[in-house]
This record gives sequence, C-alpha cells and structure tokens, in this order.
Amino acid sequence: MTSNTQQENDHQSIAARMINNENFKTIGDISAKKPRMVCKNVNVHYGDFHAIKNLSIEIGKNEVVAFIGPSGCGKSTFLRTLNRMNDTIDICKVSGSIELDGVNIYDKSIDVVELRANVGMVFQKPNPFPKSIYENVIYGAKIHGLVKSKADMDELVEKSLRKASLWSEVKDQLHKPGTGLSGGQQQRLCIARAIAISPEIILMDEPCSALDPISTAKIEELISELQQNYTIVIVTHSMQQAARVSNRTAYFHLGKLVEVGNTDDIFNIPKHKLTEDYITGRFG
Amino acid sequence: MTVTISKKIKKQQKKAELAKQAAKKLAKRHRQEKNFRRIGLAAVLMGMLFLVILFTDIISKGYTAFMQTQIQLTIDFDSNRIAKNIAKNKETDGETLYNGNYRKLVSDALYAKFPDVTKRKDKKLLRSIISTSAQYYLRDLAVTKIDTDSRANDSNDLQRNIAIGSGKSAADAESPSAVQYQINSQYVGQKQDIWVIADDLFDMFHKGFYTAEGAESERLIKDNYVTWYNKLLAEGNIRTVFNFDFFTNTDSTNAELAGIWGAMKGSFYVLLVTLLLSFPIGVGAAIYLEEFAPKNRWTDLIEVNINNLAAVPSIVFGLLGLAVFLNFFGLPRSAPIVGGIVLSLMTLPTIIISSRASLKSVPPSIKDAALGVGASKMQTITHHTLPLALPGMLTGTIIGMAQALGETAPLLMIGMIAFVMSVPTGIFDNATVMPVQIFLWSDLPARGFMVKTSAAIMVLLAFLITMNAIAVILRKRFERRW
Repeated sequence: MTSNTQQENDHQSIAARMINNENFKTIGDISAKKPRMVCKNVNVHYGDFHAIKNLSIEIGKNEVVAFIGPSGCGKSTFLRTLNRMNDTIDICKVSGSIELDGVNIYDKSIDVVELRANVGMVFQKPNPFPKSIYENVIYGAKIHGLVKSKADMDELVEKSLRKASLWSEVKDQLHKPGTGLSGGQQQRLCIARAIAISPEIILMDEPCSALDPISTAKIEELISELQQNYTIVIVTHSMQQAARVSNRTAYFHLGKLVEVGNTDDIFNIPKHKLTEDYITGRFG
Repeated sequence: MTVTISKKIKKQQKKAELAKQAAKKLAKRHRQEKNFRRIGLAAVLMGMLFLVILFTDIISKGYTAFMQTQIQLTIDFDSNRIAKNIAKNKETDGETLYNGNYRKLVSDALYAKFPDVTKRKDKKLLRSIISTSAQYYLRDLAVTKIDTDSRANDSNDLQRNIAIGSGKSAADAESPSAVQYQINSQYVGQKQDIWVIADDLFDMFHKGFYTAEGAESERLIKDNYVTWYNKLLAEGNIRTVFNFDFFTNTDSTNAELAGIWGAMKGSFYVLLVTLLLSFPIGVGAAIYLEEFAPKNRWTDLIEVNINNLAAVPSIVFGLLGLAVFLNFFGLPRSAPIVGGIVLSLMTLPTIIISSRASLKSVPPSIKDAALGVGASKMQTITHHTLPLALPGMLTGTIIGMAQALGETAPLLMIGMIAFVMSVPTGIFDNATVMPVQIFLWSDLPARGFMVKTSAAIMVLLAFLITMNAIAVILRKRFERRW
C-alpha cells in the first residue's frame, strides 16, 4: 500500500516536472474554428502566488468548452478572468491579452459593466437574489435599460425562463422568492438570469456541483440547447459531464493548460501523461 | 496451564483497570460540564437578582412622583381682595385684575380654614403648605390672558412695511395692545372650592417619606403641621391625582413643580441631531471602508483607530466639543446642536463597526451574482448589499442612539448642565437632557427631588427599553434568510 502511493507520488512529481519546464507548450490545437475569445499568454498572480502560467487558448462561436483538472489547478480562476470577475479581488493581477471579438477586455477603455453584459456567468453555488423570481430574472435587463414597458418585461421573463426550461415549474409563482426554490431550480433560475441580458458567452463555474443527478441532467440538457445561440465555457469536476456536454476540452494542471482538443480525442486518445492519468482516475 | 490462566486473569484485570480509568475520566468530564453549567446559572441568577433589586429600589422610590398631592381650599375671588383700586374702566379692568395679588387669596383661605392660627411664625408655616404655583393657577382661573402677540406682530410688520412703502409715517406705533384679558365671571366675585397643589414637604409627608415621631425640635414636621394635616385629611380636603405636571413642566427649584418635559424635548433634539449626523456618515464610512477602500496599511490603521475610538472615555468627546465647537466655531453653549454633534462623534464608532459587520455578513455570492449580470459596484451595493445589511445597521444605530440617550459626561462639558426653565423649541435653544436632569436632581437635598430622580430614571429606562425593543423587532422583521 505505502509503496504504491509512494510510487504514485513519484509518478506525479515526474509528470509535474514535465510541465514545470519553462519551455512547456500546450499539447493539442488551441485554436477554434470561429474564434470569439482569444487568450494569449495570460498570467494571473494572487500576490506572490502564480495561479495561471502563460496560458493561451481560443474559444469559438457556438461551442461548449469544458475546463477540467484537479482542484486548485486554476480553471476557475481562469474562467473568472474571462469576464473580469477577478477585479473584485485586490491582490489579483492579470497580464497578457484576452480579446473578445478583437478587443482586449483588460484595456483601460473597456467598461466592465458592458463586458459582463456580454459575458454572463453562472456560479458554482446557486445564488439567486433574495427577491422574487420575476425580479431575479429581470434585474440585469433593468439595470442595462434593455426593457422599458411592463409588457416587455413580462415577455423577457417568460422567454428567459422558457429557455432555462424553468417556466412550466414556476409560471404560477413568479412573485415568490427565488430562494424558496429547490437547488436545481435555483441554478436554472440563475441561468435564466444570465441569459435574460442576452450575453454572447456564458461562463459556468461548476454549475452542477451542488445538485442532484436529476437536476444535473436537466442542466446538461439545457446546456446542449443553449449551445445553438450561445458560446459556453464550463468548468467541471465531472469528467462524464465534460464528455457529455462539451465540444472541446481543456485540461489544466498547476496553473498550466496541459492539453486541449476535441472532447472525443481528449477522452479517447489523450496525448499527455497527466491528462491520461487524470481522465483514467489515477489522481484528481 | 496455570501460566496461561494467570495471564488471562492478568489481561482481564488490566481490561477492568482500563475500563475503570475510562469511567473515571468520563465522570470527570461530566463533572466539569456540570460545574460549568452551575457557575453559569449562578451568574445569571446573580445578574437577575441585581436587576430586581435595582428595579424595586427605583420603582419603590419613584412611583410616588407620578402622583400629585392636592389640597382643597375655599377661595373667595373677591375682586377687591385681589387688587385694590380696581379701575372703573372696564377695558383695563382685566389687566389690573390679572396683575393682582393672588397669594393673598391663598393665605386668606388658609386663615379662614384655620382661624386659631394667630402667631406670625405659625402663619408663615401654614402658608407654606401650599405650593407657590397656586397663586398663578388661581390667577389663570380668574383671568384668561389671550396672547395674540405673535399673530399681531406679523400683521403689524406687514402693515408697517406697506406704510413705509407708501410713504406714510408709521402710524401704528400706538397700535392697540396685542394682549387681551378676559375675566371669567364663574370665578371672579364668587366663592369656590379649588384644588391647589400642595408644597413638597406636605406632599412628602402625605406620601409617608417623613414621620412625626421623636422630639419636635429634631424633626422637620412640626406638631401643628401634623394637626393641620390631620384636619385637612379628616375633612376630605386632601387628594392625590395623577401628576400630569411631571410630564409637562420643565425643571424648577420647587420639587413639587419640577417636570421632565424640557429634558425630554432636549433629549429629543439632541438625538435628532445625532441621528441625522451619525447614521448617514457612519453608514457611508462603513460602505467606503468595506467595499471601496483598498486593503492596505492605512486602512488597517483606520480600522484599528475606529475600534479604539469606541473605547475613548466619553468625557474626552465633551472636551473636544468644548474646544472645537464652542471655542473655535463659536456654536451656542448648552444647545442641542452641539450636544448632538458631540454625541454623534461618540456613536459613530459603534455605528461604523456594526455596519461593517453587517456588510461583511452579506454573502459574497450575492455580490458575485449582481456583478455577474453586469451591475456596477455602486449598483451592487445599493440594490443588494445595502438592503441586506440594513437591519444590522439599524440595530447598531439604535443601540448607538440608546447609548447617546443615556450619556451625561460629554454634555456637562458643553454646558448642557445649566438650569433650564424654558422648553427648547429648536436645536439652537438652551436645553438639558434627561440623564443630565437626573444628575442635577440627584444632587439636590429636597426629598421631593430624590423621588423625582427615581421617576426620571424610570422614564429614561422606559425609553431605553423601548428603543432596544425596536432594535430587536427590526432585526427579527427584516432579517432575510438565504
């Protein structure tokens, strides 16, 4: 037993050494067919801690990209840099360039508010506002001035809730608090809230980690439907989920993007040793 | 064979020993728990006991202040008695009558009641059983003074302005007097039984705070005083009624007349200023420090200093008020505006600390959610963080206000300890506040003031308890769960 773990540790440290090399390059094709978001040499520091190391990837139109990797590998951090949610953390410094349709989102002239209207986000824990379901959905559209009349608002709420396949469940209780829903419903409400402001890209940070299998299945179905209109980046701990919903998969390890490619390729013929170990469940 | 058996026995013994030790340890643990619980219970009971003692003491001493002793006298409202040389002119009759000698009415009524009192010294003592306020009470009964002063002044000014504007001389310099006197015929010229307020000593004697035991020379209540009291009592001329005067009068040198209304209004103005200053500033400071300020050594220093400020003795704030607001800015002395500013300096740390705590307790996921749909930082705060943190902020504010309501020391330094007989009508008027009033009364030797002190404490406590109850209710009502 002991020797086995020892062996594994050695194994891992060797693998880690493989990517800790300065000249390490991401394996696989980082480019997308119709790139919308282009990240080049992104580095993220939390104070002294180097969280994301020289990461480059492209995210294409209408595709679902899954970020997988062991805990603390920086996938959530990287996801949050894509709509500048890391701005709220004082010690976080981002360098490199992240371009959305050719514009660097870290440029001084960029309005974060507008960026976040274009790049929506769904969080790990369902976090509806402690307000009514209706208010939850309409809030973003209201502050961006997307809706004026009551009729517009009603229509948008219905549309968003239908897209999030929640409408049939809540249509009779729109004015009840969103916090009173079940976990899965809350998460779908958060998705409805995110799509109500008609973003182009939706970032999902482990959206199913707090949900039961049935709710998870519903959300996964939803992601496949949303793919037709949106670009989705999803961080997940579940490899099955990544395999089911994503077109491309990126494997992160210790702040580096180890391997990226078509989901089928990654799961069937992983090229890097670390990727292979992770998807076969050797560690993680 | 025997060896193995003895081994087995040894093993069993060892096991039993271990079990014994474990049981011992368990018992010890239970004992510790029990002891701690006992100590806690004892502490709670002790606290309750003190509270009960405090309340019984205050209430038993103070409740009588809510009752007023009155004496019934047969007053002869003879206009010639009230004022000699009543003018024939009916117009000025009222004014002369108003300024007449009503003290004489009281004395005459007393002499009539006790015809056997003849000695000058005894007469003086007899006169003293009625409060000095009685003469004014009788005056107001006999003649109603209609003060149209303020209204008249306004219109006069207007007229004068018009006159000046049209080039006329100010003809209304000798305008008719704005004050009118109306003689009440149901009293004047009649004999009436009137209840008048008794003097403090009489009041206290009636309420049993003094006894007539022991040698006469050594007690305040003389023998004839007791005789008069007994006669009045026997003839049903003494009654006790609810003391409305306590809630409508201001401070007075006469214990039976002293009331708390002036101090209550003063406290109200001071708290108003305090609330208006400290709530917005405190909440604003908390939001800035919690949400906007960069986290560095300077903000750490500010945070430490705010916490320290909460522990600064309140009299230091009084000194600051004296030096800065009175001497440097020249604001009026003993005015609620200065008191309010000083107290808001004192309550600010409380409000800032509690507001920051309640801002901190808003889950970051809510903020993330708002930011995630593209709300700006300010929108996130005003739409989500602030409404969720508000109950906690209000609780802190009310507790800070309650603290300010009970504060005396800083107000002494800015002159709010003055003897104020007028009711303040604004934040720039002279005023005193309830705790200072209590402090002032507690210092006076008259028995009546001791009772009033307790009564004022009861009123103050009632306000404090109400405010704290409101804080609790607010917290319960608006607390959101997520």
